[in-house]
Amino acid sequence: MRAEIFFTSSMSAESPDRKAASHILRIKDARKVYRDLEVIRNVSLNVAASEFVSILGPSGCGKTTLLMMVAGLVERTEGEISINGELVTGPRRQVGVVFQQPVLLPWRTVLDNVLLPIELLKLPRPKYRQRALDLLTMAKIGDFAHRLPRQLSGGMRQRVSICCALIHDPSILLMDEPFSALDAITRDEMGVELLRIWQANRKTVIFVTHSIREAAFLSDRVLVMGRRPATILDDVAIDLPRPRQISMMEDERFNQYVRRLRKLIEASHAR
Amino acid sequence: MLGRVGRFFVELGWPIGISVAALLLWELAVRELDIRSIILPPPSEVFVAMFQRSELLLTNLWPSLYLTVVGFALSVVGGILVAVLITYSSIIRKGFYPIIVVSQVVPKIAIAPLFVVWFGTGAMSSLLLVVLVTFFPMTINSALGFQSIDEDMHRMARALTGSNWQIFWKIRMPHALPYIFSGMKISITLAVIGVIVSEFVASQEGIGYLIKLAGGLLDTPLMMAAITVLSISGLALYGLIALAEHHLIYWQTSDDIGGMGRS
Repeated sequence: MRAEIFFTSSMSAESPDRKAASHILRIKDARKVYRDLEVIRNVSLNVAASEFVSILGPSGCGKTTLLMMVAGLVERTEGEISINGELVTGPRRQVGVVFQQPVLLPWRTVLDNVLLPIELLKLPRPKYRQRALDLLTMAKIGDFAHRLPRQLSGGMRQRVSICCALIHDPSILLMDEPFSALDAITRDEMGVELLRIWQANRKTVIFVTHSIREAAFLSDRVLVMGRRPATILDDVAIDLPRPRQISMMEDERFNQYVRRLRKLIEASHAR
Repeated sequence: MLGRVGRFFVELGWPIGISVAALLLWELAVRELDIRSIILPPPSEVFVAMFQRSELLLTNLWPSLYLTVVGFALSVVGGILVAVLITYSSIIRKGFYPIIVVSQVVPKIAIAPLFVVWFGTGAMSSLLLVVLVTFFPMTINSALGFQSIDEDMHRMARALTGSNWQIFWKIRMPHALPYIFSGMKISITLAVIGVIVSEFVASQEGIGYLIKLAGGLLDTPLMMAAITVLSISGLALYGLIALAEHHLIYWQTSDDIGGMGRS
C-alpha cells in the first residue's frame, strides 16, 4: 500500500476545541423546504475523521439533497452544517464529490480529467501531475492515463471519477450512489476497490446508497433514512472486521446486519 | 486489409459510379432524341462551356463566394455571441429567444426585395440576407450546445469553486463545439442560397446574376455551367468545414487512437 503518496494536511488541521476536532462533519437540526415541500426534517449527525458512514434509504427520500447541502451546493432552510469546525456557507475545497454517473469530459484524457479539479481550484497543475498518476495507478487504471473516457468501461470510468474526487486531497468524500449504474458483479468489485482506496488514504466517506447489502458491506456506520420528509430513523454501527472481503457477504454476522437494516427500512414504510 | 483512405474510396465508389452512369445516360438521351441545346444541353456541352467561358464564370464566382464567406463568418461569430447571451441572461432567454424562434415562420428569402429598397442593390443587401438566413441555425445550435452540459458536471465544477469563466471555457465551449459545427454545416449551404437569391433580385455581378443573365439570353449551357461551378464551390465550402470538424472534434471519431476496441 502506497499510503505515503497521500497528503495528510487536511487531517492534521488543529482546532482549539478538542471536541469539534474529533468530529470532522457536524450536522445539527438540518432542515430543507422547497416551496411547500419539506424534504429534510431535523437531521443531526456527527461523523468522525476517517469514518465510513453510509446513508441508506429509498430512492427519492432526500439523501442526495442532504449530500448536496454538505457540499455547499444546496442552501439549507434551517440548522447548521460544519466541516472541520467551520460553518458551510458555499462550496469549499475540503470536499470531493462522486456522482451516480461518472462526470468526465470526453475531450480530455483520463489524466487531464483527474487534473480538472486542480485547474478549477486554481492550483498549480504540474505539482499535482505525479499525484494524479499515482492515484490512477492505485485505482488500477494507471495504464489508461492517456486514453479518452470513451475507451474505458463503465466501472473504469467510475474509478477515474473517484480519482477526480481525491486529487485535491479533500477531507471528506461525498458519494451519491456511485455504483448504482454498474452491473451487480462490477458493483461488488468496486465496493472492495473503494475500501482498499479508503484504507490507503483514510478519508472520511459519506456514502449514499439504496442498497442494504452495499451499505452493510462498506460502512462503519449506517444511517437509515425514512421517506419524505427525510429524517434519520436509526444509526447502526457495523462491527465487522476490516479489511472486508466479498466472501464476508456469506457470513452469518453480515447477514444479521442486513436483516436488521431491512427491518428498519420496512418499518419506516409501514408508518 | 484496406486502410482508412482505401475504405473511403470504396464507399465513394458506388455513388460516383451511379453519377457517371446517369451523366452517360443523359448524354446518350439528348443525342438520340435530338433534344435542342436550349432546352437541355448534353453534359459534354456544359463541360465545354465551363472551360471556354471559365474567365466569365470565375469573375462572377469571386464576388458570390466572398459574400457567402463573409456573411457566414459574421453569422458564426454573431450567432455564438447571441447564444452565450441566451445561456447566461435569463431576460434574453425568456424575452428574446421565443421571438427569435417564432420569427422563423417568416420565409426569409421573401425579405430580399425589401432589403433592396432599404440598402440598394449592392453588397450590403446580399450580406444582410446571408446573415439573416444563416443566423438562426447558428444561434439555436450554439445555444443548445452551451446549455446541454451535464447537470452533475456543472455541480461538480461549482463544488470545486470553479468560476463561470472557467466553466465556460473548460466545459461549456468544448461541449458546444459539435453543436456549433452542425450549425455551421447547415448555415454554409443556406449562405450560398442567400447570396444567389439576393443576386437574382438585384445585382450587377455574381453567379446568381450570371444565371439570370444567361437565362435571359437563352444560353442554357452557360446557365448549367454556372450552376455546376456554384455547386462545386458550395461542396468545397462544406467540405472544408467538415474537415475542420473532423480534426477539432477528435473525441467523437469512430477510430480509436491506439486501436483499443470500444466495449
